[in-house]
Amino acid sequence: MALPKFDVLCPDSLDEACDMLESHASEGIKILAGGTDLLVNIKLPVIAPRAYVLESSTSQLVSTHSEELWKDHSGPLAPPSPAYLLSLHRLRNELERIEELPDGSLLVGALTTARTLQMSELVRLKWAALAEGADALGSPLVRARGTLGGNICNARPAADLFVPSVALGAKLGVVSIHGYEVIDASEFALAPGKTRLQSGQILVEIVYPASPPGTGSAYYKLAQRKALDISVVGAGVRLTIDSLLKITSVSLALGAVGPTPIVAKTVIDVLLGKKLDDSTLKLAATAAASDATPIDDHRGSALYRKQMIEVLTRKILTTAYLRARRSL
Amino acid sequence: MSDYRILNTRAPRVDAWDKVTGKAQYTDDLKRPGMLYGAILHSPIGHGKILNIDTSRAENLPGVKAVITWKDVGTQPYGVSPARYDETIFCFDKVRYVGDEIAAVAAIDPDIAREAVNLIRVDFEPLPLVLDPLHAMDEGQSQLHEMYDHNICAKVNWNFGDIEEGRSEAAILRTDSLSSKMQDGAFMEPQSILAEVDGADNLTMWSSTQAPHYIQRTIAMALNHPLHKVRVIKPAVGGGFGPKASCSTAELAICMLALKTRRPVKFTFDREQVFLHGRARHQFHHTMTTGIHRDGTLAFLEHKCILDGGAYASFGIATVYYAGSLLGGPYRLKNMKYDGYRVVTNKPACGAQRGHGAVIARALFEVQLDRLAEELGMDPVELRLKNVMEAGETTCNELFVSSFGMKEALEAVRDSAAWKRKRGELGQTRANGTGIGAACGFFVSGAGYPIYRSKTYHATVVIKLEEVGGGVTVFSGAADIGQGSDTVLAMITAEELGVELNDIRVESGDSSRSVDLGAYSSRTTLMAGHACREAAQDVKRQILQAVATRLEIPPESLEIKAGKVISLTGEIDFSEIRREFLQEHKGFMDTPEGPELTFREASRIAFLELGSVVGTGKYKPPPLGGSFKGATVGTSPAFGCSAQIAEVKVDLETGEVSVERITGAHDCGFAINRTQVEGQMQGSMMMGMGEALMEQKIFDSEGRILNRNLAEYKIPTSLDMPHLESIIVESNEPNGPYGAKEVGEGAIMPVIPSILNAIYDATGVRIDELPVTPERIVEALQKKKLENEL
Amino acid sequence: MKKIISLTVNGKVVEVAVEPGRTLLELIRDDLNLPGTKLGCGLGDCGSCTVLMDGIPTFSCLTLAIQAEGCRIETVESLSQDGHLSKLQEKFIEKGAIQCGFCTPGMLMTSTELLRRNPGPDEHEIREAISGNLCRCTGYQKIVEAVQGHSEEGEK
Repeated sequence: MALPKFDVLCPDSLDEACDMLESHASEGIKILAGGTDLLVNIKLPVIAPRAYVLESSTSQLVSTHSEELWKDHSGPLAPPSPAYLLSLHRLRNELERIEELPDGSLLVGALTTARTLQMSELVRLKWAALAEGADALGSPLVRARGTLGGNICNARPAADLFVPSVALGAKLGVVSIHGYEVIDASEFALAPGKTRLQSGQILVEIVYPASPPGTGSAYYKLAQRKALDISVVGAGVRLTIDSLLKITSVSLALGAVGPTPIVAKTVIDVLLGKKLDDSTLKLAATAAASDATPIDDHRGSALYRKQMIEVLTRKILTTAYLRARRSL
Repeated sequence: MSDYRILNTRAPRVDAWDKVTGKAQYTDDLKRPGMLYGAILHSPIGHGKILNIDTSRAENLPGVKAVITWKDVGTQPYGVSPARYDETIFCFDKVRYVGDEIAAVAAIDPDIAREAVNLIRVDFEPLPLVLDPLHAMDEGQSQLHEMYDHNICAKVNWNFGDIEEGRSEAAILRTDSLSSKMQDGAFMEPQSILAEVDGADNLTMWSSTQAPHYIQRTIAMALNHPLHKVRVIKPAVGGGFGPKASCSTAELAICMLALKTRRPVKFTFDREQVFLHGRARHQFHHTMTTGIHRDGTLAFLEHKCILDGGAYASFGIATVYYAGSLLGGPYRLKNMKYDGYRVVTNKPACGAQRGHGAVIARALFEVQLDRLAEELGMDPVELRLKNVMEAGETTCNELFVSSFGMKEALEAVRDSAAWKRKRGELGQTRANGTGIGAACGFFVSGAGYPIYRSKTYHATVVIKLEEVGGGVTVFSGAADIGQGSDTVLAMITAEELGVELNDIRVESGDSSRSVDLGAYSSRTTLMAGHACREAAQDVKRQILQAVATRLEIPPESLEIKAGKVISLTGEIDFSEIRREFLQEHKGFMDTPEGPELTFREASRIAFLELGSVVGTGKYKPPPLGGSFKGATVGTSPAFGCSAQIAEVKVDLETGEVSVERITGAHDCGFAINRTQVEGQMQGSMMMGMGEALMEQKIFDSEGRILNRNLAEYKIPTSLDMPHLESIIVESNEPNGPYGAKEVGEGAIMPVIPSILNAIYDATGVRIDELPVTPERIVEALQKKKLENEL
Repeated sequence: MKKIISLTVNGKVVEVAVEPGRTLLELIRDDLNLPGTKLGCGLGDCGSCTVLMDGIPTFSCLTLAIQAEGCRIETVESLSQDGHLSKLQEKFIEKGAIQCGFCTPGMLMTSTELLRRNPGPDEHEIREAISGNLCRCTGYQKIVEAVQGHSEEGEK
């Protein structure tokens, strides 16, 4: 696996970054934050993802991969080799921060690493699902480089920071030369690796709604090993209860069970206005499973994933409810 | 405690300082003037005829110095076992797996070399793939090699004792099966090769290899280069575990490129290529029927195994034999039948990996013992203790165990892990998510015979004294691949010569230094250890002879202890020798003092008397084993044995397994270095645990490995590993140096079954397919629940 | 086109022209001749290439040299001073935390950072900290013991 040829642009300000993005859009440009996903994704494998069936021949022939053949084909065969990487490393001062805003909401700069999120007592206290997502992401080395913005923009359905961000109702602040725009985290991803981000736009900050008393959240990742793994299923939840311990708002997101992080909508009806007892838990778990559309792959079967959504839903609801009660 | 001064201690590794400072040189760290960089073209398809290879565009790329294919290197077959030479350096008629090598390039930098490889055009006519080992032998399947009818690369049909008699006598018998997946060695250092040719056609290759000797022979044979003009040097090696024991196409191709360009050429595998190349653990499908008497003694074992060997034989002949032969111990088993079939499929070739051939067979047999114990209502540890062999016994397949601490090992883990308290009171399977399981294992301490038919010594060692006096250099072909054999040789030499470890330098892993068959089959401590001891004693004899001659006394009256020559028969006047030494060292500040003669003085005197002092040692096992076909595989001058208890917690909802503690005991005969023995045991625990719970190469329908990286080929991280308790058992092996025998591979034997037995204890379900993923546990639990409801 | 970057490596300011696609690891190993840092996987999975970048354990194989501009890099070569090993290096030797040695430089860098931030880590904290550094030889047991041994005795 070797890196392809590209040039790296290093803007000194957000304005410059926006200009560069805009002016190189047609040549292919990718934003480089921590690089933990992007640099892996653009590396050229020794063995091409597919052998090349040459349609022109009379008999069915297969040929070895060559860069030429790669260039001849468009679509899924072409490796994602951007001409430019826009590295944001000079913007760390601007885009790496964790701040509680006057209205109680949490602003996190897009270049904030998972490691920084993990170490923030504020995040762990009030937005536990995000801290737990950071705990679950890759390994300490991945967390030291991997950023919140990168994890979200990479838009993998299993992304350990993205899924809790959806559950927590995050709003994504995006800039371009045309100005600032806010996108709901839950609506951001379109497909694996595809987002609503337009060419020329950069995700700069993520805002998590305030965590008033009676609010609790949790994230759980199911994987095969205890570090350095991709989730088989991930699930995050945020809920708020009233003084009677009844749930007044809830948002539950599921990872790795659909093309994007999924908001389990039917769970809301099951839980609203209820206390969390065994039968409610069970109903909620079933509801969550019905919202997911997992597939079979080498990490797990669709059936197992559906079943695990139920288990994880029970686990995270129980934890988040407990936290909500404690914060009353 | 032992009487030894250096042996049996926790002496630090001789290469430790280099390794903690980053100064240890691995092959990829080496640079030579004018060095070129290699790249290799691999087949992107699993099976196909090669119709045409066009290298013209690659050759024309600026910076490319050579492009080679089969047309340049010929089609001389080679391989590991002379009876199965089924590989050629490059494919010429067809490709047999995704990754099969077609061409190689040398260029002035790695990027150009890679680019050139991508400019080579190869046209194939795809052939039907053979991917399922269970159907590879079927009529009508595509054939990989002409020489392997029905894709059967090797088969074994063994019958020891009388299986029918055993069957008729057994009170309980049961049949179980267990299958595994192809593994990867997952050593941290990817293979790397640097080759260079001098003006006299001497070819030197530095390679990340386990077996310089075999590689040297294979290079000479496959490239038709004079054997004495091939030198293989093993720099520091970042782990091997088996896959680095066989000669690779890359090694041959890089040597060929160096010969062709007359320039040094280096090539380092990409991690992806480590997976493509394979040569790691086979995929096994075992079925066993075991019978047992009412009192718990074993009656018979009927065993069948199909091994998926991938596209070529590699070490696979030995593998299919080992899969059967090593069930001969550690229990008394009079009747054993084994039918093994190694088939070829369109996947990377499989070869040796820690616990060669025997790991999954051991796992299933130990699972069967637990299941039989359950049916008998017997404690599984007690059942094992009832059957374990003792020193002096011979297995039904004619393996003689000259030392055997099996009982001690099993009792040690039983007591250390508080087995009776944790398991006994609770009786049968708990199925409450907490489990404990035990198992034993048995392994060779060095293969009894070389891979090619020869009367060669398996190990020789040359020890030379520094002429100036004081220093000692050990020359050996033995390959320290991280297991610590250099330290073992240094410790033995220091012990024998009565000097400090710091005074010993080890130059090893070089085919020009001495003969050593390599780091495989857990052989180095026993074999090179024997040779080293003999060489050191030879040197010591010469030193004492020289001193005795000077003093005109019998040499028997002298001994070397703690760096000093001492007299065993009262005080002796060394002053004449001291005077002579001091005369030679006017102006030196570190001159010897005190009443005793130092080793430094004595070794200088030896030089003055004898010229350069060199001692040699050699070892080869005596003729071993029976006379039946394949009787050589499994023979060994000694056998190691081990026992282990694993404790697990299983989340019964998600199926997640957490191994909470592993307690292992291994009989290594005698621990030359206690820390290193524990290190081998602990590394074995990790590799076995990975294989039990998470490691597997996953193939798609085209024969491509989907998880050819260390993110998705999952080996345990530090968080997955529990606290490891390792107990050393020393049974004093009569055929080993100082009583020592193996630990490197044997220690992995009980790991998988102890975990499988613990998972059963925790869940009440048995999983017959490895790895035991959370999903498989959940599936089994649900199936059981359904059955209970019906 | 090459870019000129400046960074501090093991206390020395280095100004160097790098290709945009040059990784920090290639810069360290090939251009600066510090081969102690190892390439194990090239994908950020194994941790053999770990260096400290502004004090934080970082996989140099997945970091572009350009991203390290202005940063302070520490490699395994910096741990011993004037031929004297650090306490942690000594503990690695004493406890037998080294076998093949290929993961050792990365392990040392990760553990060094852990001990700077938490001089008395417990077993779980150590396992957590090194969980991105794979080791195939030791089962991690003796590595954990070495880091623990260090914290029990403290830096000399």
